[in-house]
Amino acid sequence: MADPSPPLYADAKYREVPFEEKQRLFDEVTADMRWETSLYGCYECGICVAACPSARFYDFSPRVFAQVMAREDVHTFYELLNESVWDCSQCFSCTRCPRQNNPGGIITIMREVAVNHGLQSAKDALKAYSRIIYKIMSTGTQVAPDMLQPDFFPDWGPDVQQVSDHLDVWRRAIPPETLHTTELAWDVSEKTRMELYLIWKLTGNLEMIERIDEGIFMILEEVMEELLEEHGYDIDDIESVVD
Amino acid sequence: MEHNPILVIGGGPAGLEAARGAAELGQPVLLVEKEPILGGTPILASYAALTPHMEDAETVMKRMVDAILEDPLVDVRPETQVTAAEGDAPEITVTLEGPKGSEQVTVGAVIVCTGFQHFDPGRETQMYGYYEYDDVITLVDAERMFKAGSFVRPSTGEAPKRVCFIQCVGSRDRQVGNCWCSKVCCGVACKEAIEIRDHLPDCQVFVFYIDMRMYGFWEDQLYWKAQEQKKVQFIRGIVTEITRRGDTVVIKGEDTTMGRPVEVPMDVVVLSIGMEPSEGSTKMAEIFQLPLESHRFIETIGAPMNTVSTTREGIYVAGAAAGPADLEDSISMAGAAVMKAAGFLRKQALVAAG
Repeated sequence: MADPSPPLYADAKYREVPFEEKQRLFDEVTADMRWETSLYGCYECGICVAACPSARFYDFSPRVFAQVMAREDVHTFYELLNESVWDCSQCFSCTRCPRQNNPGGIITIMREVAVNHGLQSAKDALKAYSRIIYKIMSTGTQVAPDMLQPDFFPDWGPDVQQVSDHLDVWRRAIPPETLHTTELAWDVSEKTRMELYLIWKLTGNLEMIERIDEGIFMILEEVMEELLEEHGYDIDDIESVVD
Repeated sequence: MEHNPILVIGGGPAGLEAARGAAELGQPVLLVEKEPILGGTPILASYAALTPHMEDAETVMKRMVDAILEDPLVDVRPETQVTAAEGDAPEITVTLEGPKGSEQVTVGAVIVCTGFQHFDPGRETQMYGYYEYDDVITLVDAERMFKAGSFVRPSTGEAPKRVCFIQCVGSRDRQVGNCWCSKVCCGVACKEAIEIRDHLPDCQVFVFYIDMRMYGFWEDQLYWKAQEQKKVQFIRGIVTEITRRGDTVVIKGEDTTMGRPVEVPMDVVVLSIGMEPSEGSTKMAEIFQLPLESHRFIETIGAPMNTVSTTREGIYVAGAAAGPADLEDSISMAGAAVMKAAGFLRKQALVAAG
């Protein structure tokens, strides 16, 4: 029997993946509550591409997301989901659309679907972010002062060396005491860290991390379990912790 | 003031509106139609629903015919053709050939409403295999199916799963010799795409286009509606060729915005054929010695502010005889032509009366 829904393109990739699997992921994207206001129809005019910083440096186009999704081209959607969905910097410059589309918003939803299904593309894309994920999820801060090292920023000039050598002093020169930190952007109380952890856990974010990076997930669980225990909470009895 | 009648040639939308308008101004009208029935192309080509409002073509055209049928000022001559003309307005003697033989009548002014004909996609080139493949049809063939109540794959009689439209067939094509946009085909294709998605929700519909020319309100009434609500897939790029694979036709082309080659089987391919000057328009141009403009339609003078006057005083053209026109254009032109014809006759009568 002929393929009931063959790819449009002669050079289509992922032909080995069953159509039903692609359709299932596509349906998950369009079922999202944000979908209805993310995409109307696409003129393929390119106003979003010219505004897009990623398009300037990568083989990436927000237009392609809008047009492929508007056409409900399930095969090409699957290509995007496994490839260029990770090339967007989520700056939303693309929202200057005459049809009021939000290509960046489409990508947000697609990324979540990719992560929720533990797609290889999601694992690959997020691998480099392990340290950042760990830091954000355990402390709520991302960029730390001690990241400022002369080797990494030669183009910032000789001052970097100076600041880096005496980071502690420089930080203490800032009036608020909460900024007298070097390993974190600011001082985060243990209470805040526990609250953050509960938010990640209860909103399903930790499960997402588990699907794409089990190592980071386990370290996080371990560290936070210890912290909660110190404060007399049992991580396995989340209800009582929330109370 | 007694005048020779206004001769309206053609009983389609423009001709019917011209006849109605002239009679309403108190002018006697002679309406000549070569076919046995009035209504013109929407009726003769079995249009189902008119673009863009989707009203039933029969109902709309019957309303137009009813508006003149009982009017004592309108003399309707079906199955009649103008075969010769002599003299200048307001004294033009025309020869009419009808069921009762030949007859000479003197008319005061003429409004040519002889319309267009659909491009024949098998005539110039065979690139789309219109006469070869049953499943390659035209917008008009699709209308016929809609009118009959079911849209099917002609080769099997079954409901299609995948249909595509190819725009600009016979229009905007130097190879064919038709260097104009036919104006309505984008809208009609969107209308038909919407109808297919309504009738067959499981059927995917694609439109391959160069530009979607959805001027004015057709933009959201037809194009946005087809794309946003009915999920019709619009792909910029014109199909290069259609071949057969097994019992299906396969289209080949380029998706130009994606820069990727398209090659996919289709159950039905609908060719969005454009407008050409009708045989009747060319013939009337000859008989009334009206020059044709560069696209072979009847030339008007004074554009853009005068859309209906020809090079000959007292002779006007309305509708697609003067170039591709939608229904709104045709009806508006008919009104303008009647106004000018009545004005011309009144002035002539005043001059004659001294």
